[in-house]
Amino acid sequence: MNVEIIALNRMAFGLRQGELDAFRALGNTDDARLNAYIEQQLQPNNILDTECDNKLTQAGFTTLGKPLTQLWAEHYADNKKEYSFRIAPIAETRKATILRAVYSKRQLQEVLADFWHNHFNVFGWEGYAQHVWAHYDRDCIRAYIFGNFRQMLEAIATSPAMLYYLDNYRNSRGGPNENWARELIELHTLGAENYLGVKPQNEVPGYSSGAPVGYVDGDVYEATRCFTGWRVNDSTYEKDVTNTGTFLYYDAWHDRFQKIVMGRNLPPDQSQLKDGRDVLDILAAHPGTGRFVCRKLCRRLIGDNPPDRVVNEAAATFTAQKDAPDQLRQVYRVILKSPEFKQTWGDKIKRPFDFAMSMLRAINTDITFQDDGFFWNYDALGQSMFARRPPDGYPDVKEAWTNTTSILQRWRLTTTVLGGSIKGFSTKIVEQTPTNVTTPNQLTDFWIDRILGRAMDNANDRAEVVRLIAQGKGNDVALTSAQITERAPRAVELILMSPDFQLK
Amino acid sequence: MNNLLWTRRQFLQGCSAAIAAMAGARLSNLAFANLDSPMAENSDILISVFLRGGWDALNVIPPIAGTDRGYYESARANLKIPTSGTNSTLALDDRFGFHPALAPLHELYKAKRLAVVHAAGLTADTRSHFDAMQFMELGTPGAKSSTTGWITRHLNSIGVGNALIPALSAGSSQPVALAGLINNTTMSSASSFKLGGHWKYIEQQQAALRQMYGSGNSWLHAAGLNTLNAVDTIEQASAGNYTPANGATYPNGSFGDQLKTIAQMIKMNLGLRAATVDLGGWDSHENQGDGGTGYLSNLLTNLSQGLAAFYTDLDGAGGANYASRLSVVVMSEFGRRLKENANRGTDHGHGSAMLVLGGGINGGQVYGNWPGLANEQLYDRADLAITTDYRQVLGELVVRRLGNKNLGAVFAGINYAPLGIAQGTDTGVTLATPAPSAATATPMSGMTPTATPMSGMTPTATPMPGMTPTATPMPNATPSPAPSEFTNQAFLPFALNQVRR
Repeated sequence: MNVEIIALNRMAFGLRQGELDAFRALGNTDDARLNAYIEQQLQPNNILDTECDNKLTQAGFTTLGKPLTQLWAEHYADNKKEYSFRIAPIAETRKATILRAVYSKRQLQEVLADFWHNHFNVFGWEGYAQHVWAHYDRDCIRAYIFGNFRQMLEAIATSPAMLYYLDNYRNSRGGPNENWARELIELHTLGAENYLGVKPQNEVPGYSSGAPVGYVDGDVYEATRCFTGWRVNDSTYEKDVTNTGTFLYYDAWHDRFQKIVMGRNLPPDQSQLKDGRDVLDILAAHPGTGRFVCRKLCRRLIGDNPPDRVVNEAAATFTAQKDAPDQLRQVYRVILKSPEFKQTWGDKIKRPFDFAMSMLRAINTDITFQDDGFFWNYDALGQSMFARRPPDGYPDVKEAWTNTTSILQRWRLTTTVLGGSIKGFSTKIVEQTPTNVTTPNQLTDFWIDRILGRAMDNANDRAEVVRLIAQGKGNDVALTSAQITERAPRAVELILMSPDFQLK
Repeated sequence: MNNLLWTRRQFLQGCSAAIAAMAGARLSNLAFANLDSPMAENSDILISVFLRGGWDALNVIPPIAGTDRGYYESARANLKIPTSGTNSTLALDDRFGFHPALAPLHELYKAKRLAVVHAAGLTADTRSHFDAMQFMELGTPGAKSSTTGWITRHLNSIGVGNALIPALSAGSSQPVALAGLINNTTMSSASSFKLGGHWKYIEQQQAALRQMYGSGNSWLHAAGLNTLNAVDTIEQASAGNYTPANGATYPNGSFGDQLKTIAQMIKMNLGLRAATVDLGGWDSHENQGDGGTGYLSNLLTNLSQGLAAFYTDLDGAGGANYASRLSVVVMSEFGRRLKENANRGTDHGHGSAMLVLGGGINGGQVYGNWPGLANEQLYDRADLAITTDYRQVLGELVVRRLGNKNLGAVFAGINYAPLGIAQGTDTGVTLATPAPSAATATPMSGMTPTATPMSGMTPTATPMPGMTPTATPMPNATPSPAPSEFTNQAFLPFALNQVRR
């Protein structure tokens, strides 16, 4: 597959008018163009993003810039306000996420924001999260996308959204709750691939030298103790606690005695926060974390079953650069510049979000969000935004998205959007079609090129599109404008439903 | 082209040509020949209900007497279910009782249609939801390398013949238990299971999609074609709105809706052999309710009312007595810690319990060896131990109810030791594991590649010796507000809808 098609489908949410040409102008060879595109996308702040900025401004969001304490005071603590106002921080973030995914030129950043939201999954529509979601999205996820994993981990660990979601806000020495510690290790850092189950810590290979190869339940319990007292300023009546929503280390709840985590002795009475920070240090530095996180990144950016070679190369960088302020940018560079990246195609199906965003980009839908109609339809695809209940994030393998419902619902979304029944989602197919494009063959080729940027894999698939437009008349006979108005959107729907548009 | 009689094979292979010939004409009056006799003996329909998140088996079926009652009460000062007064346990025998929210199931227990297997579960050493679910559904404790789920292997081993819809996942995702089964149908409701769009072009688009997805061999083509086949089949078989029989009332919410869809599909006689349904939200780390009310109670009410309505709907005299061919099994990836935590919840545990419901079930008994709740009797000094490998329960159903003596093909390496839960015969059981052959499975591609084998497992079991009702529906939480005909209740894929926090 052409590198530009690979890059725009896996580093971006698909093709949008003009972006293929821009990519092709980046150099004289495939490698030169790809490298230039990668370097450009790795520095999102250097990319002018006027169209997206304007879209965000026009949308009139009011919560996205509020600091945590303001979100808490206005949207959580003041519980007299209407529900819609109280959840505006997540409702607006959800819309902004779509506008960015569709209109931003910083596409890699948006793809990776989606990745990290899944990696550090929080069900956003309950508890503290819904009121402070703009903070979680902005200060905990997006602030670190191109930065340092260890720093990101601490931002997450101290966020009210995560503290509530995984119950650590109530984890105390008198009443330990191991939910956060377990998922931190199993889902955020070492991963289940490094879980050795229920057995004594000292039976893990490498334990005696302070470098156990994996973790056991004992490590989860000890880590739970380390995080006792990591909570939220969420009270109006407790001594030493404010109701500001900020992170609070509450010494009275902390377990002061010594702990053993991953073969390391943490002495009693360490200074405030040190036990928990030590756990984050240990986990972020463990080579197993590098492999686990990098395998997930490769699964997202390359294919469902990424080759070990590129995983290992990325993991080596992840671990070697664990203290670098741009550690993650370096890791992405390794993956994106690997031979595996440009040699793999079609081992992956677009997930529903990916599919929907790439559709809106391909057909240049103008989005102004009159109501939540898009979400009512989109949610049927099975990947409601910020709404994954379990902490593992939405699955990133084809098996999860090729069942009959998932396929059928994505087909249905194309006709719903093109049918124009979603308020504030306007798609002008005829206006985008040049006036000299009038025959079934011409219409088919114009829209296949616009949507896919390439010929269809199977020539017969193209013939089906032509047939739909021609309606039994000649393939080279010009249609009337009324016929084009009725049929061109149907042809576009069919291209969007075709096998070619599902792959990445 | 009226009354076309097609076999499934013709349907799968010949559809595209036929439709092209019809130039997009509607597939009306299509009928299917050679369906399996839906009433064939010894061929129950398996309904697998998976409770995602790890249900608190010790509060679902608590001890009601003896020293273990004492251990239970002291470990669960806030959460314990009382044995007398309001919201007290419903006795199953002299040792165990049901949580009061299971009243409708208690009726089925008394009618000897429902059996309980206590201290059953996945013997692998893990307290991870995700590992545990994967192991259980693959049917390979400790290993994740299988590309097929246990139900897939069962269906492949009996052969699904001409069945149009051999397997159904109610909801929006295909569970791991059905991994590798290409012609599974995942569906939330039959009435909306069709393409939308411009009325003049829908059928042509559908025909074009059949051409596109029918002319390739990739996993994606297979998935698209399967979807189109399912859409056509449902369209043909669906007779408008569905009215449950015998006055059955399903609870509101996705679980009730999904059971209703399964019942509807069963009655369509499309050859359904297995269906799965998920119910999430069992990961009750905090505020799970106490004294027989609250969060867990609401979940159990939904479960109990749903299953009771399902059974009632399918129960009837003579040819309509589908319930006589039902084998419903309820399981969860693990139970929860004996000792409650400080947040009026419970953390991840080990031993669990299973429920088995059906016309051919020796119900009204609590099966399994009870390991006890004294500290030294617990798993890892913390959780209920497991004395019955969950595969023994499933295996017995496979052999005695599902018409499959080839147990080794489903659960490799199993040491078959039936508990006597199901009626039927064990004659001819073979435990040999067949060599992999292209004919037995069509994996779509690997599951997650990484695997960390864990310690083995220990089967064992034996039966144990061997009561009253009410409740209310619980609507399912939907994240995004505002309904529409397109909204779907619980579209959160890959199993556990709501392993709640």
